[in-house]
Amino acid sequence: MPDPTAESQTAAAGKINASSPAGAPRIGVYVCECGGNIGETVRCEQVANALGKLANVTIARHYQFMCSDPGQKLITDDITEKGVNRVVVGACSLFLHEQTFRKTVERAGLNPYLYYHIGLREQDSWVHHECPADATAKAIRMMSAGIAKARLMQPLAPVHLDADQRVLVIGGGVAGLRAALSIARRGLPVTLIEKSHFLGGHVAQWEHLFPTDEDAAALLEGLIEEVIAESKITIYTGAEVVSTKGYVGNFDIRIRVQPRGVAKDFAAVDQAIAACPVQVPDEFNFGLTQRKAIYQPYVGCYPASPVIDREHCTRCNECLRVGQNGGIRLDEPPVEIDLKVGAVVVATGFRPYEPFAGEMGYGEFPEVITLPQLERLLATNDRLEWNARPVRRLAMIHCVGSRQIEGMHAPQPDGKVNDYCSRVCCTATLSAANRIHTRFPNVTIYDVYQDIRTYGRGHEDYYVRACKNGVTFLRHLPEEIPEVIRSEKGAEYPLLVKVKDRLTWGEEIELPVDLVVLSVGIMPSPISDLVDMLKIAPGNDRFLLEVHPKLRPVETAVAGVVLAGTAQGPMTVQESCAAAEAAATKVAVLLSRGKVELEPYVAQVDPERCQGVGECVCVCPQEGAIHLETRIENGKMLRRAVVTAANCNGCGVCVSVCPSRAIDVQGWRLDGFEAMVEAITAETPALEGVA
Amino acid sequence: MAADRLQVDTIVIGGGIAGMQAALDLADQGYRVALVEKNPSVGGKMIGLSKVFPTLDCCSCITTPKMAAVAYHDNIDLLTYSEVQSVSRNEQGFVVQVLKKPRYVIDDACTGCRSCELVCPLDLPDDANEFGRTAHRVIYVPFTTAVPQKALIDIDQCVFCGKCLQACPSDAIDFSQLPAFLEIQARSIILATGYQVTRYDAKKQYGAGKLRNVIDGLMMERLLAPTGPYGRVLRPSDGKQPASIAYVQCAGSRDETLGVPYCSRVCCMYAIKQAMLLSGMLPLADITIYYMDIRTFGKGYEQFYRSAQAMGITFVKGKVARITEDADQNPTVRVELIDDHSQVVERKHDLVVLSVGMLPGGDPQALYGVPTSEDGFVRIPNYNVAPATTTQEGVFATGTAIGPMDIVDSIVTASAAAAEVSAYLQSHYAAGSLTDAERSLIHA
Amino acid sequence: MNVTSKEQARKRTQMLVELRKQHDAQVKQAQERLKEQQTIRKTLQRAMQGAPRSVPQLAAITNLAAYEVLWHIAAMKKYGVVEEAGMDTGGEYYLYELSKEAKG
Repeated sequence: MPDPTAESQTAAAGKINASSPAGAPRIGVYVCECGGNIGETVRCEQVANALGKLANVTIARHYQFMCSDPGQKLITDDITEKGVNRVVVGACSLFLHEQTFRKTVERAGLNPYLYYHIGLREQDSWVHHECPADATAKAIRMMSAGIAKARLMQPLAPVHLDADQRVLVIGGGVAGLRAALSIARRGLPVTLIEKSHFLGGHVAQWEHLFPTDEDAAALLEGLIEEVIAESKITIYTGAEVVSTKGYVGNFDIRIRVQPRGVAKDFAAVDQAIAACPVQVPDEFNFGLTQRKAIYQPYVGCYPASPVIDREHCTRCNECLRVGQNGGIRLDEPPVEIDLKVGAVVVATGFRPYEPFAGEMGYGEFPEVITLPQLERLLATNDRLEWNARPVRRLAMIHCVGSRQIEGMHAPQPDGKVNDYCSRVCCTATLSAANRIHTRFPNVTIYDVYQDIRTYGRGHEDYYVRACKNGVTFLRHLPEEIPEVIRSEKGAEYPLLVKVKDRLTWGEEIELPVDLVVLSVGIMPSPISDLVDMLKIAPGNDRFLLEVHPKLRPVETAVAGVVLAGTAQGPMTVQESCAAAEAAATKVAVLLSRGKVELEPYVAQVDPERCQGVGECVCVCPQEGAIHLETRIENGKMLRRAVVTAANCNGCGVCVSVCPSRAIDVQGWRLDGFEAMVEAITAETPALEGVA
Repeated sequence: MAADRLQVDTIVIGGGIAGMQAALDLADQGYRVALVEKNPSVGGKMIGLSKVFPTLDCCSCITTPKMAAVAYHDNIDLLTYSEVQSVSRNEQGFVVQVLKKPRYVIDDACTGCRSCELVCPLDLPDDANEFGRTAHRVIYVPFTTAVPQKALIDIDQCVFCGKCLQACPSDAIDFSQLPAFLEIQARSIILATGYQVTRYDAKKQYGAGKLRNVIDGLMMERLLAPTGPYGRVLRPSDGKQPASIAYVQCAGSRDETLGVPYCSRVCCMYAIKQAMLLSGMLPLADITIYYMDIRTFGKGYEQFYRSAQAMGITFVKGKVARITEDADQNPTVRVELIDDHSQVVERKHDLVVLSVGMLPGGDPQALYGVPTSEDGFVRIPNYNVAPATTTQEGVFATGTAIGPMDIVDSIVTASAAAAEVSAYLQSHYAAGSLTDAERSLIHA
Repeated sequence: MNVTSKEQARKRTQMLVELRKQHDAQVKQAQERLKEQQTIRKTLQRAMQGAPRSVPQLAAITNLAAYEVLWHIAAMKKYGVVEEAGMDTGGEYYLYELSKEAKG
């Protein structure tokens, strides 16, 4: 059965009216008050009145919310009733509502590119809040420039290109798996790559998930099984992106797949592992245990066959001696694969915050561990012991590596502290505390916190249970950071936690304990190479940045690159899955019709003027965007520059070097700029009596 | 205009931000969607807010374009002022009976010019949109940015003076309108039924709603909005511009006595946001937030909290035990100052805002057979991995129908629901459970 | 007025009479409400005729509760009957005056 949505999509595409409106420009000008955002500073009525006097302006209005339905109706009515054929709106940033107004004018039968947007809010009212008169004058100048450009605007048609429907999902943790599954079920093929040699990400390391109290392994196993069963998904583990090219709908991405070094059907797994003499800290258990250079992280991992850790393998060949010739291939080279994909989902996940040496005793006293380490300790032991001694008293300290204050906490190598909340640690800590209480009821648990943030559905219950379970809570102020010190020699408990507890009148309290657990925060996985290759951007908190938290919460500024899960910010498993599904939806909207639409702002050559010098070809930074063609006309050989619209990103470098002004960017022509500059600097009569 | 019988891939119940987002995400992929909203306008609770955290974008700027988009989308049938009467299953999914309430104004004829409203002689308290703090007429367009921009008549208050009939330039008024019924054949259902806030009169200790200068967070949103009842922040008892404003956090959440043990997740941030907006509008005012825990957990939220502290907003750790008022109706809070040796003090303010929490918008059991959890929100059996799939096949839920959440999370969850629904639809269509004839009917 | 519009007007009046009859009890209530509202509005408008007034001042003059006055003022402001006219000397209350249109 054909894709049920194909028909209506074809109908939706290609209905843009690209014919030039007849007659002189009749410009409709609209000044938005943006509630009070613009209107409280810029006197919008005055602006509209002033602009109404300019040549070619048919109507100039001001309104409280131009983007609202009644606001949009003002525009469509003026187009149909007053014959307006160019529209200039002064409002918020064009990133917010350029698309909105394009659709508005299109609905009234006008070409969407006969509309121009002026950012009165970000560029004027917000920055000149203190001086309304000047801001009003500036608004008039900015809008006059827009009107000057509008007089010269010509209808344009967006570039329609066939799109590859395959989607690359980067990251095989819970977000990547969920995204891959949703995309494939929508009917689009997926390539899922995972940097490590096993799927599952960090969730594989937790034994238990909140708020459902479910077994993390079971959840993961179920999800992985569904992903494997989905015929539209191709999986590569040990795989990384090495280069990217192209744009939405047409990305060329090269991945490198590291060999496992062990054949799938290799049977003597246990013997080979036993034979390996190498011992390295096992990252799966956060260094609590050792593993070999040939290893499987855990029982039930996928893929199940072990892998050789080439960084640590000494090539002693011990494993080769356990039999089954050819089962182990130490010299297998990595493979590079070229993928053509229409969109990319970045699901690269997080890493736990690694405390500095000495931070709350971490690295200084062996009895200080992190919450992820505690989780592995609980998962791998029947008893709660540390250094072969039973743990009788335990202190858990929140916000280590989260909610940091500049000047008080040591910064990361980039000079910034982690000033954000990591969101999941409060409930994760209380969940661990409750499980310890259930399994080891005699253990005394102290919880040292600033604010308990059990915000999500079902989370508060963990707090309530912890209180009922007798966990002792101590609350400190953000600037009064608790200290972990060594007890005096011969003391019953090896460590002391010093807290100024605000729940008991700010008393300085010393807690003698066997073990200190630091609830470490979340940091994004180190992916700076990938970020550069995809030309996406991290925010101030280093997590990947969305375009707008409400309008486009999982999309990046690069069309076709979307975010899923903790690469974007701290999230629970549920939130990661929701974000991953949202990413899948955005990808489906982009690619399910098999075509993408690109802005028509591409270089255009005037063959009459072009002399075939080729400067443009030399400076063009985009591969395949412009080239010289030779043709014979009237017996003469002519060389002319030719633009391939799909590859041009409209940067305009070619325009700046052309000796004969033969090249221009459609929609952003030089004459338009000149007219705008003139309008901005002119002694505009419109300004009279304003400033 | 919708026909009497409609065939769609999905029917979305609730035209708030989550319902609109889910509808748009599916319609943009080519699926046919019916969006049913019980109020006369889409926009939900969100359209009543002032500015939104953490970006402080004006709320209308985010909401109204989506409202316009659902109204104009070729693949969306928008049914406002409509309520679902019954739902039954058949081979093709669900048969949903929708009641379209009479506006007494002909949709297609009304241009939203408001001429009728201006001549109507009687003002009524605008309870639906302004908590009764200002008026609308008996015939009125719900609010400036309402979608659709169509008038309706509160027929029970009408004196039938006929002025509107005379004023209407397009003969759109029709007193004889009756409720209309519409049958929708839908392959799937999305419940985006939203939330209501804890009643601000629920708590005896906080005055049980009898103290005029004790309001709730949503009411404060209207006072802060440029389109609000007074156009500025005035206290309700006498119109005084407040010089001292206090927020009481967890007023209706994390409170076993109200039967709401859970955290409502948005109240810390909206209180901080409102405090910031207030300190911009009333630079001389003292603003205090009484809290138990500050839960600014989202992206950029903690930083938002820090800026509020830097702006001089006072945060006081302590649960407010009681609110009373003096002879001038100034509310007085009794609170234990935990960070100040746990002294118990009484403090007088001009205006107190209860940061009320979120309760489920309705019980979907009767109509949709969808059970709720102990907290009253829709039960999601595979909560971590499939956060929109309910226990009923073909029925999905999203936004605050599945628990308290802020706008960002509602929008993301709504897009997630769209993914689960589209996968569900694809599996059905791939399995060929529709004949080609049925298929062409749906996409005709 | 030509014959058809006269005819229409007659039909319209007839319809309204019918409607009032049909909804008799409720119409009577609404009429009461309207009458009461018009009386209050007149009193408030008179009180504002001389000078701009604050809500407590209007409450004192009209013997209405301040919160009720505030509701009427908000409604009258929305429909263009009153306008804000600065603040009182104490800087606590806004003053309201009749709009130009309402003054006639």
